[in-house]
Amino acid sequence: MAHDHHPKTAVHAEEAVAHEVAPPGRTFAAFFVIAVLAALALYVGFSDLGPWKVLVSLIIAATQAGVLAVYLMDLKQADKLTWLIALSGVFWTGLMFLFTLTDYLTRYLGVL
Amino acid sequence: MGQQQSTVRMGMWLFLVTEILFFGGAFCAYATYRIVYPKDFEAGSAALNVGIASVNTFLLLLSSLTITLAIRACYLGRRKGLARYLMLTIVLGAAFLGLKAREYYLDYQEGLIPGVSRLSPEAKEQFDGRMAALFAEGEKAEAAAAQTTDTAAADLRSRAQDLKSRSTQPPVAFNENLKVVLGHNKSFAGKPLDEQAYAQGSLADGDGHTHDYDPYKVQLFFMFYYSMTGLHVLHMLIGLGLLIWQYVLATRGFFDHTARYVYVEVMSLYWHFVDLAWMFILPLLYLTGPHSAGQAVEQFKQAIGLGGH
Repeated sequence: MAHDHHPKTAVHAEEAVAHEVAPPGRTFAAFFVIAVLAALALYVGFSDLGPWKVLVSLIIAATQAGVLAVYLMDLKQADKLTWLIALSGVFWTGLMFLFTLTDYLTRYLGVL
Repeated sequence: MGQQQSTVRMGMWLFLVTEILFFGGAFCAYATYRIVYPKDFEAGSAALNVGIASVNTFLLLLSSLTITLAIRACYLGRRKGLARYLMLTIVLGAAFLGLKAREYYLDYQEGLIPGVSRLSPEAKEQFDGRMAALFAEGEKAEAAAAQTTDTAAADLRSRAQDLKSRSTQPPVAFNENLKVVLGHNKSFAGKPLDEQAYAQGSLADGDGHTHDYDPYKVQLFFMFYYSMTGLHVLHMLIGLGLLIWQYVLATRGFFDHTARYVYVEVMSLYWHFVDLAWMFILPLLYLTGPHSAGQAVEQFKQAIGLGGH
């Protein structure tokens, strides 16, 4: 083909070469952060925080999940389309929770 | 080649979105029921083995580390390193499942299965004792009725009949078993149990916190416990199968073409997802109820046969 060095192809090739496996330092750092958060999750779980317990626990779990996804599942180096797909998962799940809970959280307001 | 690799990654992420929604549906159903029955879900959670769950959390986390190191070993063409890290991941995953199997077995022994018809030995003892006491009270009322001739006799006789018929009613096994587990060793959530409150069917931990619950709704919590952890176990079994397959491929030199590291990476995405799901299962199922660190240590020791009963 005459257009072997089409600029667009060259950009793609560069992007692909730029993808490298994460250095072990980053992997260990991410593991360390998630492990500390896991210990914190257990500490919170064994404490008596009343209604705050579930909220604090979920914030810890979401942070753990974020670090795991970005550093160990390597979203850090992922292309935009992969980011879009990953975030769409969060988005659709969010919608499912939103529409379900807006019903159930308000349904009993007049009764209870 | 690079484009191929990013397509492979993207494909796995697309699959993971369906998985996120799959687990998300279960969590959403859990959330709606927990909002309506918060105390009952806390009581159900209090009956779970947090010792095993705590250890399993770190086993799974470590396996997420070893599988990430396996990708790097493959990328650098270190065949032995790859096989070693894959094997480590397999061992950690198998240890998780082994402990989980032990936990399910203990749950079975304690009779914590919704709709179960078998009383645990302790529950049977407690239940029989209660029924015998009811029957004895009925006999007493009957004897008192025989010695009375006035209008009170009719009342006493109907009371005796009521007590005796109650003493022959069959137990709801799950509810009796749950009561024993929650009041086990006269402690609740690692604190001394208020025995007076316990005898009246309510739980109090001695610090003045009472936990009233409806055992039928706790059964609902256990449906969530078994279906969500069961789904998680199923995913782990599939992940373990993939790991073993890639281990065999690694020992046969399939990954000597280092560009094939992307297959290890894509499989690791699935394995990490299993870890991610556990990060939410732990606080929502296990840590929801009142627990203590001491209780977790004790439960784990007992589960692996180190502690006394």
